[in-house]
Amino acid sequence: MARRIIGIDTGGTFTDFVLLDEGKITVYKEPSTPDNPARAIVSGIRRLLGTDPVEVVHGSTVATNTLLERRGARSALVTTAGFEDVLTIGRQTRVSIYDLDVEKAPPLVPHERTFGIAERVGPQGEVLEALDPEQLPDLVRSLLALEVDSVAVCLLHSYANPAHEVAIRSAIEAGLDAFITTSHEVLPEFREYERCSTTVANAYVGPVMASYLADIGEHLGPERVRIMQSNGGIVPLSAAQKKGVQTILSGPAGGVVGGFEIGSTAGFDHVITFDMGGTSTDVSLSPGQVSRTAESFIGELPIRLPVIDVHTVGAGGGSIAFRDPGGSLRVGPRSAGAVPGPICYGRGGNEVTVTDANLYLGHLSSRHFLEGAQELLIEPVTEALSRFAADLGLSAEATAEGILSVANATMERAIRVISLERGYDPRDFTLVCFGGAGAMHAVDLARNLGIPRILVPRAAGILSALGMLLADYVRDYSQTLLLPLQGLDPEFLEAAFGTLEKRAHHEYRDEGFAAEGVITERSVDMRYVGQGFELNVPVSGELAGLFHRHHQKRYGYSDPARPVEVVNVRIRAVARTEKPSLPEDEIVGEDASEAVLGDHEMVFSGDSFQAQLVARSKLSPGNRFEGPALVVEYSTTTVVPPDFHCRVDRWHNLILEPIR
Amino acid sequence: MTSAFEASGNTLWDPVTLEVFRNLFYSVAEEMGVTLCRTSFSPNIKERRDYSCAIFDGDGHMVAQGEHMPVHLGSMPLSVEAAIEHTTMRPGDMVAVNDPFCGGTHLPDITVVEAVYLESDVEPTFYVANRAHHSDVGGMTPGSMPLSRSIYQEGIRIPPVRIIKEGQVDSDLMALILANVRTPTEREGDLTAQVASNRTGTRRLHAIAGKYGVDVVVDYMHHLQAYAERMTREAIRLIPDGVFKFEDCLDDDGQGNGPLPVVVTLTIDGDEARIDFTGSAPQVDGSVNAIYAITLSAVMYCFRVIVPFAIPSNYGTLQPLEIIAPEGCLLNALPPAAVAGGNVETSQRIVDAVLGALSQAIPGGIPAASSGTMNNLTLGGTDPRTGEAFAYYETIAGGMGARPQADGLDATHTHMTNSLNTPIEALEHAYPFLVRRYEIRRGSGGAGKFRGGDGIRREVELLCPGQVTILSDRRLTPPYGLEGGSPGKTGRNVLTEGGVEREIPSKASVWVQPHTTISVRTPGGGGYGTAPPDEPGDSE
Repeated sequence: MARRIIGIDTGGTFTDFVLLDEGKITVYKEPSTPDNPARAIVSGIRRLLGTDPVEVVHGSTVATNTLLERRGARSALVTTAGFEDVLTIGRQTRVSIYDLDVEKAPPLVPHERTFGIAERVGPQGEVLEALDPEQLPDLVRSLLALEVDSVAVCLLHSYANPAHEVAIRSAIEAGLDAFITTSHEVLPEFREYERCSTTVANAYVGPVMASYLADIGEHLGPERVRIMQSNGGIVPLSAAQKKGVQTILSGPAGGVVGGFEIGSTAGFDHVITFDMGGTSTDVSLSPGQVSRTAESFIGELPIRLPVIDVHTVGAGGGSIAFRDPGGSLRVGPRSAGAVPGPICYGRGGNEVTVTDANLYLGHLSSRHFLEGAQELLIEPVTEALSRFAADLGLSAEATAEGILSVANATMERAIRVISLERGYDPRDFTLVCFGGAGAMHAVDLARNLGIPRILVPRAAGILSALGMLLADYVRDYSQTLLLPLQGLDPEFLEAAFGTLEKRAHHEYRDEGFAAEGVITERSVDMRYVGQGFELNVPVSGELAGLFHRHHQKRYGYSDPARPVEVVNVRIRAVARTEKPSLPEDEIVGEDASEAVLGDHEMVFSGDSFQAQLVARSKLSPGNRFEGPALVVEYSTTTVVPPDFHCRVDRWHNLILEPIR
Repeated sequence: MTSAFEASGNTLWDPVTLEVFRNLFYSVAEEMGVTLCRTSFSPNIKERRDYSCAIFDGDGHMVAQGEHMPVHLGSMPLSVEAAIEHTTMRPGDMVAVNDPFCGGTHLPDITVVEAVYLESDVEPTFYVANRAHHSDVGGMTPGSMPLSRSIYQEGIRIPPVRIIKEGQVDSDLMALILANVRTPTEREGDLTAQVASNRTGTRRLHAIAGKYGVDVVVDYMHHLQAYAERMTREAIRLIPDGVFKFEDCLDDDGQGNGPLPVVVTLTIDGDEARIDFTGSAPQVDGSVNAIYAITLSAVMYCFRVIVPFAIPSNYGTLQPLEIIAPEGCLLNALPPAAVAGGNVETSQRIVDAVLGALSQAIPGGIPAASSGTMNNLTLGGTDPRTGEAFAYYETIAGGMGARPQADGLDATHTHMTNSLNTPIEALEHAYPFLVRRYEIRRGSGGAGKFRGGDGIRREVELLCPGQVTILSDRRLTPPYGLEGGSPGKTGRNVLTEGGVEREIPSKASVWVQPHTTISVRTPGGGGYGTAPPDEPGDSE
């Protein structure tokens, strides 16, 4: 049977479709319908395929937006009496030390819907105070009276003994028709604030996500839809309905998976993805595989499930430049956003942005933005930039280049955080850039960090949707142990892994996967006894030795004499999907002259150049040209400076490297 | 309109490179902090983030500090100064210091300084330093935050001495330090983390100098100091000239002396400010004395928060400020004063007083008083599960003062601290405690047009015999309201032993039986503006 599969990424402005049909890729964009995102999806599919059934992989920002815009379910929280305020207190800190106007995000569940239950479990899972079932009918009555949509249950030390959470869950289930989620199921790990925050987030977005997915399933057939998760893997629609919280950070995940897979296909499996948009920039490091973290936040709320490790900084094309009272040239974090947008959009923006600086320097073409659908205005930019430059005492050109340098410094720091600070040398990596502005800034970043190569995928504008098609089924399981490694009974450890593996196989089997198709990978979170942060170490030999080596790599030292503690055991259960192969073409030759549209003036380091203007769509595999050049296409622009050359590989990726 | 190419020092600067270096230096300090935080052992460092990292020019003047602890702001440079003055740091050497009277703040804060040699082996080009609050440095009570009467009771006193020589730990010195503390394994681990943190900083500075050239880096260090000075002067210039007086007080010193006034006379004159603490209490027997470095940090903090931009905390910030604290007073104590609490308690009162004076200068621009105490709780004893000594120290947040346009935040650390709590589940794993209650103390914030934030009620049960030490304040004098707002509620410390409940004072140290519970109820913040009628009354 010919495989036909479509990846759909719902974004704020556009819903992207990537259809793979008999080895051929079709790309399509439909304006998003934020009031009901399913509408754009259904009409897009209809336009592409009529009413033919199709397999769908879908990534959506429904859960993310529900949380960020606080439009989630009316939820309640049930917790151990005396600890009802865990979410409000948080870690007792303020996010900004020197800001007297600092605010704190209020918890997703208000105090009046939080219920303390008399019970107590100790750190070893021992019951210190039994749960008196007589409290439960009252609890259920209160929940009914409050007309809640969902209930989160999070008790102290439930990761060590979930019995009380289980009992409360049963009581609520019996008396109430609501979405119920318990912390030992969502995240059986210690640290009550983070576990509670994650569980409550699931209760908050769960019902919204479940009804959205039900709607999608109704239109497309529930068994044909898979959902992208924050961990870079997919799950069947039914699984995502139970654990909506796992999709909260799925937005950037598709892009990272897509960037990594495209890089690997092209022969570069050590990849740094660089996604620069209008208001922010996401970077992620994939050293032979996509990396994950269990320490993520959305807004100020900790979400402790494994997610793709994406580092975000508040600098993008729309970031506004200004002079501070000390005379320094600053860029961002204030952004012109989409409205009014940069000055050159001509929509009323009057503050100089990064995009304006790029246009002024010829790093963006006024006539080829969105294939010429919107002309970018250079005159108001020149005017505003000259005024701003006079303020700074610089030339307009130096000011524009300065704005790029300052913005690049912020992004360089973001890449440092995910590479050098974690023991990885950027010189071993390829920078895969996407987002509207990524390929305009990539060369400067690569130069400053010693990254030898830049890859601009053909599908840079729809990489996230493509990544969804390339994702495997992934499920993560964890359990806190908090035991010394020395003297840890290997059979006990084996049993701990075994329990998680059994759960994984069980859940996969319920969804119709054959056991032999599921691969489980074991890892252990460890730390020196007494430390507060753990390192995740894949199990590939003797644990203590592995840990010392990881610690050495990450922090520059290790101490084999110090005792080590096993904090969590983790299982990642992967069922590989049949990967659609990316379309590739024969190499035809180096001559790129057919793609040259003409001359274009560009500025690099204070010098003006007559550069070539190149149409991406007319380039063929094997084509090769030297900078200075500007490569234009629908949603991206690539800057090739004078000391770089650019070639097109068999997958139509642009590969930029320094001229030796 | 000024020209961008102004002279500062001997060379010109441009606004782009200035901004690039501002980012760079700040990122070095932050990266040092990451190493320190993630590899240390004291809950104070790893969980509560009670540490600071900074880089300095070749004269030992601060260039950049991470967004770490405000209370370390002005005091880090004095550690570096002391290290330079009292030792000779060769390449690969590091100096440790905690002596409050010679570059330190209070004894638990150990600072490790390294000289960075780039061009020669003779003159250091830069310095890097980090300070971390260790869980125990000996002294009369576990946790080393005692109700002491002299520095000699507070723990091991380390003058500036080389703990690392040519890259190797001085094991004699290390042995001496470890022999004087209750939890030596943890101490050694923390010091190792501090050394690793400095090495991170040194490595980065080497790389930056390699890329830009030493001269450019040094020049921009000076330009950034001049920049911070310009920014601070600009902020002060916006304050109307005048003389503003404010008085607040500490409850007592834990030795029967109190109240202890903190008096400030603030003079704004153009783009300079004089902050004169003449008239404040003389230094006292108890452990709330602040050394000059603390006073400096607290004042620097106050001026830092009124600058509406993120500026680097460095040498330049201090230049427009003249701080007068007479020697021998509570805010400039001389040896052998006990100083453990000056850092944590008195520093907060200095902020309350200076912000109080500033509220007269900038009406509508300054919030009411926040809880004004860090509620330092130390529990020590021998863990029956392991037979080993333990010393656990935590600070408990309170209510934030109401702002001119917004309520104060509940249950949040304010002003001179921003330390995190230790997760209850982590705490109960590591120590023989049970946390019985951790909740918002509702109604403790002061009423007003905008309400002060509420404090916290935290109750911890000791499962073995042990020593409970509380070092707190605002148990007698409440955090003030402003513009007609009510004061926040004062805090309370309540001990329940053998079923009997009793109130203990703001500063107390008690030996207790197993299953004793200490309940700390922290103050709320002051209210701002007159409360609308029908405001519900306070109740606890």
